[in-house]
Amino acid sequence: MSNNIACSHCHLEFSKDVMIIEGNHYFCCNGCQGVFHLLSDEGLESFYDKTGDIKLSPQTAQYEDSSNFNAVAFYDKFVKIDKDGFSEVSLIIEGIHCSACIWLNEKALHKMEGIIEANINFTNNKANIIWVDSVVKLSEIIDMIRAIGYNAYPYDASLQEVHANKERKEYYLKMAVAIFASMNIMWIAVAQYAGFFSGMDQSVKTILNITEGVLATPVLFYSGWVFFRGSYYGLKNRVVNMDLLVATGASLTYIYSIFITIVEKGEAYFDSVSMIVTFVLIGKFLEVISKKNAADTLDIIGKHLPSEVNVLKNAKIVSLKLEDVSVGDTIVVSSGEKILLDGIIIKGEGSFDESNLTGESQAIYKAKGENVISGTISIDADIHFEATRDFEHSTLSNLVSLLETAINKKPRIEQLANKLSEHFSTVVLLLSIITFFVWWFWPHSFEESLMVAISVIVIACPCALGLATPVATLVGLNLGAKKGILFKEAAQLETMAKVDLLLVDKTGTLTIGKPKVIKEQLLNNFDIGLLYSLVKSSNHPISIGIKNYLEEKEEIVNEIIFDEFSQIAARGIIAKYNNIEIIGGNIQLMHENNIKCNYETDESLFYVAIDKKLVAIYELSDSIKSGANELISSLKNIGIETIMLTGDHKKSAQKVADKIGITNIHSELSPQDKLKIVEKFQEDGKVIVMVGDGVNDILALGRSDIGIVMGSGSDIAVDISDVVLLNNSLESLLAAFKISDTTFKLIKQNFGISLLYNAITIPLAMAGYVIPLIAALSMSFSSLLVVGNSMRIKYKVNRK
Amino acid sequence: MDNWVIVMMLIGSLFLGGMALIAFMWAVKNGQFDDEEKYLNATKFDNVEDLQAAVENEKKLEELKKKSYRPE
Repeated sequence: MSNNIACSHCHLEFSKDVMIIEGNHYFCCNGCQGVFHLLSDEGLESFYDKTGDIKLSPQTAQYEDSSNFNAVAFYDKFVKIDKDGFSEVSLIIEGIHCSACIWLNEKALHKMEGIIEANINFTNNKANIIWVDSVVKLSEIIDMIRAIGYNAYPYDASLQEVHANKERKEYYLKMAVAIFASMNIMWIAVAQYAGFFSGMDQSVKTILNITEGVLATPVLFYSGWVFFRGSYYGLKNRVVNMDLLVATGASLTYIYSIFITIVEKGEAYFDSVSMIVTFVLIGKFLEVISKKNAADTLDIIGKHLPSEVNVLKNAKIVSLKLEDVSVGDTIVVSSGEKILLDGIIIKGEGSFDESNLTGESQAIYKAKGENVISGTISIDADIHFEATRDFEHSTLSNLVSLLETAINKKPRIEQLANKLSEHFSTVVLLLSIITFFVWWFWPHSFEESLMVAISVIVIACPCALGLATPVATLVGLNLGAKKGILFKEAAQLETMAKVDLLLVDKTGTLTIGKPKVIKEQLLNNFDIGLLYSLVKSSNHPISIGIKNYLEEKEEIVNEIIFDEFSQIAARGIIAKYNNIEIIGGNIQLMHENNIKCNYETDESLFYVAIDKKLVAIYELSDSIKSGANELISSLKNIGIETIMLTGDHKKSAQKVADKIGITNIHSELSPQDKLKIVEKFQEDGKVIVMVGDGVNDILALGRSDIGIVMGSGSDIAVDISDVVLLNNSLESLLAAFKISDTTFKLIKQNFGISLLYNAITIPLAMAGYVIPLIAALSMSFSSLLVVGNSMRIKYKVNRK
Repeated sequence: MDNWVIVMMLIGSLFLGGMALIAFMWAVKNGQFDDEEKYLNATKFDNVEDLQAAVENEKKLEELKKKSYRPE
């Protein structure tokens, strides 16, 4: 071990004899040597001081020609021209290990002629590069990144992401101003309240009023701008929303306070102006950060599918873009790859995993002349197939376009807060107008009537109302996150609390989705090591199941390297070691080798024979996840019905359903069938939760009111769903129901508290009994009450 | 008399607080809070050469902007 030495570039250690030696430096490969020299030539050696002992990936990758990055189509898609006429691109940089890597990339790029800015984000490895296109081309930039040992590829900095970040930043700035000004106004207000009781010169009062006014101005017009904008759009759509109440309340109070300051009579309410704006702005911000970008889901194709396939052309295999493959092309697929186009097998045979599309838990054997479907995965088949449809018309892209419509049609249940605030705002504005006229007609001065009318709006401060939902949902979301439940949007907590029907997928959701050994019959003694090595060399689900079983059960002996080894597609494996022949596989394989066996069940069986003699039989079956029974019965207790939707055969669906107590099952469904069932129930007015994991569920997940996906599910399913159960357990599914239920209950309580508060204070204000101190205190008190009440969610959920 | 003291103190303290607020807003706009890891780590690598390089880069940028390249 001692003669191992670290490579001067990547710091990985290798034996001294295999290293390239050059003076004091050792290199593990030409790639590392090349990078090392490049960095010294560029004067960037200090990179190695910065990396310390961090190990980098050796520079071994070979890249294809980068000139296609200069294609016009490519520029159109990824390169933006900014306002100064410079080009801008977003790249994802691969191979970044540490902050020294960031430093190196930025330095190397900055040194290039024509590059204006290179900014790499450490957290997500995304780079933003601005350059002058007439001096340097994108391909040269990418070549540079590759030359120093990293790889870069452009991504479409989707407008949504940029937009979301910008919106968030805008809120930060607005909140900073609002909080700063409010804090200052508060301590000035303390002086004023003290003066209210102990007496204060009008001149001092005016100074304090002016200061408060100066501070409140940016709060109202800069931070509070969102409310003016919101009420404008609300009025345009003929909706009285909370924004309008906040905007009118705050600006009327503001104008009134200026008036008071000028006439030097009465009390100014600048503190209320900034408090209302600040509190409701914080509530709004909480909503913004917990909102999922609906548009994010639409770029699914590009994100999850490899964009290239191997096509056989003139006896050579070439990579072609998916869109460029035409009908009749021969496509080469090796084992483990995903099939991206529909076609007919013309060479080869093997098993395919179609569970993605059909939910069928067993692998399907296909030979020459049979159809392969896009979206399925080849388990052990190396095949050539002829494309019968181009990508645009393939099953897979058909599914994706159906998915897009399903998501667009997803019902949006109106949130309680929106419904309530509309009425609330209208009522308060009306009350204030009535108060004004009543006071004015029962002779009071115009001034006095206006003051009372405004105090009604001020006291009806929607602070508590504005905070009622966001604070409660935020507590709920955090609690969920701690339990491994990811709600993508706050509003979903409320929707989920209104659910009355649960649709659940079988394979991978209720069951583990992978066969497990349930019964072992050892007929003769044999070396378990042989069997272990045999199953380990195959990646068929059955072999993996047996491998896991053996690992759990036995001390694993040394692995054997077979002299001969062959996989027989959809049958099993045959191997030879020291003239011992071991055969493992299904009943067909046994019969073909003239081995007698007559044991039969409904489950999958794996026979093992050594030297043509049966030695063991393993029975495998997909097992049900823990907590399934409890889930179904608990949901029944709170009035949620459960229905199983599966693509699998009726028999296996029935078996699972019987075990866990589901009475209503729909089996042998295609993804489209599942979607239709969801639509049908929605037409009946039901609010639906769909739980699934695979591509065969995505249409239903997209359309249902709440789509819940297992974290281990397919990427597309995770992307389009609303809730992700990171630990795949049914216990957390139940917890998700509990959390949303409790959160919604507390949201209702919060509304109760703030409405009760208003029911007491508004009449007082209308009667003209409200003094500023009470207004300010009760405002803060009700907000605190709402926040405090929301914190109880955690306690209540844990107690349940 | 007294009133002047109050006015001066208000102006003085709000001015100082306001400067801090402006500095914070500048930092947010400048993207200094976008990537906390990078900016924290940057202090580790602070050295004269990098500072020099940064100055040169600024110069290069100015020049490029002056020339005002336009894509054809």
